[in-house]
Amino acid sequence: MLRMTNLSKVYRTHMIETHALRGFEIQVNKGEFVTVTGPSGSGKTSFLNIAGLLEEFTDGDYILDGVNVKGMDDNARSRLRNEKLGFIFQGFNLIPDLSLFDNVDVPLRYRGFNAKERKERIEDALAKVGLASRMKHYPAELSGGQQQRVAIARALAGSPKLLLADEPTGNLDTQMARGVMELLEEINAQGTTILMVTHDPELATRSQRNVHIIDGQVSDLVRKGPSLVDTRSHSA
Amino acid sequence: MFSYYFKLGVRSLRRNPALTALMVLTLAVGVAASVSTLTILHIMSSNPIPQKSERLFAPVIDNGPLEGYNPADPDNRNSSNEQMSYIDTMNLLKNGYGERRTALYGIGAPIEPPRKDMGVISAQGIATTRDFFAMFDVPFLYGQAWSEAEDKAGADVAVLSSAMAEKLFGAANPVGQRVRIAQQDYQIVGVLNNYRPRPKFFRLVGGPGAFGQEEEVMLPLSTAIRHETPHNGSMSCSSNREAGWQGLLRSECTWLQFFFETKSASERGQLQSWLNNYADDQRKLGRLKRNAPNRLYDVMEWLEYRKVVGNDSRLAAWLAFGFLALCLVNTIGLLLAKFSVRASEVGIRRALGASRAEIFQQFLTETAVVGLAGGLLGLLLAFGALAIIGMQSKEMQVVAHMDLPMLALTFVLALLAAVLAGLIPTWRACKITPAIQLKSQ
Repeated sequence: MLRMTNLSKVYRTHMIETHALRGFEIQVNKGEFVTVTGPSGSGKTSFLNIAGLLEEFTDGDYILDGVNVKGMDDNARSRLRNEKLGFIFQGFNLIPDLSLFDNVDVPLRYRGFNAKERKERIEDALAKVGLASRMKHYPAELSGGQQQRVAIARALAGSPKLLLADEPTGNLDTQMARGVMELLEEINAQGTTILMVTHDPELATRSQRNVHIIDGQVSDLVRKGPSLVDTRSHSA
Repeated sequence: MFSYYFKLGVRSLRRNPALTALMVLTLAVGVAASVSTLTILHIMSSNPIPQKSERLFAPVIDNGPLEGYNPADPDNRNSSNEQMSYIDTMNLLKNGYGERRTALYGIGAPIEPPRKDMGVISAQGIATTRDFFAMFDVPFLYGQAWSEAEDKAGADVAVLSSAMAEKLFGAANPVGQRVRIAQQDYQIVGVLNNYRPRPKFFRLVGGPGAFGQEEEVMLPLSTAIRHETPHNGSMSCSSNREAGWQGLLRSECTWLQFFFETKSASERGQLQSWLNNYADDQRKLGRLKRNAPNRLYDVMEWLEYRKVVGNDSRLAAWLAFGFLALCLVNTIGLLLAKFSVRASEVGIRRALGASRAEIFQQFLTETAVVGLAGGLLGLLLAFGALAIIGMQSKEMQVVAHMDLPMLALTFVLALLAAVLAGLIPTWRACKITPAIQLKSQ
């Protein structure tokens, strides 16, 4: 589903070069639920932004669902992002003056679906997260957990191959966080690959695999559960 | 996607009502100022007879004296040259070149209404030839122009404006009725159907001006000459002339205006040659001592030559556009403020699959919606401004009114102004790095 080979990301200012990622290698297979952990500044967010085609990388290769994204122009990257990826953010990132229906509609508009198909997909997605009855409501009228569910519905509406989640439970209380996590597991069980950045060790243990990043490199890959097969270590 | 962006644009108008109102008002004021002055300029400089303006020519023959004449002066303008003497007028009417020819002079004609309870009406008009009506495509409400025979014979016939006909005879068709004009009885043969060319190109010299009132009464030139109907307008005499009406007709005083109509614009060269030959013949007869070039002006050249659009009108238009530019700079600032608070939305949309080009289109459509709102308000303000300008004088009243092209121009200008103002803010919006915005939420 996703493979990065010898990937690097360098932020340059006039005086300083910061290596956010270097010699970064990772492969995520179809249907996996992978969590990404690491201390602040380790490169988790840079990795997720590059994986989500929100940032370009400096060197190396990145294959997303069989497509080499290196050197792609903005239009092609945007199209790929729209067709293959779904995003869930810590801060929900709903557009406040759009109703839930219109929020979920946003990625579908860019996909070019007709009105009938958009309506069906929006209603299905909102039903899947238990908010079908509130589609005319606005984000401010919902709790944090509900807003995150809308964000999940928005991410799911376009039937993405890969769901990228950046601390999706970071702004939620324990009960709401558990609900969101259960929803993500359910989505994964239905075949969607999930890559989730988290600070929460408990959530990391619930995934099939945890990738730990330190100083811009993958520190270890741990496959857990009945399919535990491999533990790798990478030196800096 | 355009309808989606348009919907978002309309919705965004409500997002920051105060900021939006300020932007719309700024644009509207700038557009109204520009459109008001442009409207006046547009009417002033419009072609009053577009279907044949290139085939109608005003000739200028310099019959002034040698004294004070400087042939080296390229701008040898002398008001005495721009009208024509009766001698030249008659010569050109009888023997002139072209499809049609006409001459005219202004008359002030007191009219005695048939109803005795009405007092004498002071009317303005012209004495002209029958061809005037066909040459200038003059529309008739009732009747028609006087006949060629009446023209030649100097018959006592008249054509009235519709307003004058209504004043004298009410709503009834007055053709065939008699009316007393300048102490002579005339039979009415036609009533004009609101003939108000703007500018009034055929009376640019010595009359009420390019935007003066419509001609209320028209008499055959031969009749007016026969009745010695006094000339109402400017007259230039370079030397002493004999006293009396016949003295005026025999003099070199210039007081009539003349026009040629050719079959096509390409005949201009032939007409010029004919005019030069005529002038040479007159010189052999001892006239036209200056040996100055004989000039021909088509209608638009004539308006330009007579400076119908004054420098002050042009200056006002430039100032108004300068003001619009200032308004645009302000609008740019307001749009930058409006879009800067939308950075997170841009980040979200980019993450969800919008390309930079799509963000650019969306935000530019939003500025166009602001432009449309500004255009609507600008239109109202422009109507108000034109109404105020129209109150200044009768002439301004004629030019200060909006027509369909200017109405369309208001919206185009408002849209263009808004889109122009929106380019930089929109460009900045679409350059936003989505990752930073998404993390900072």
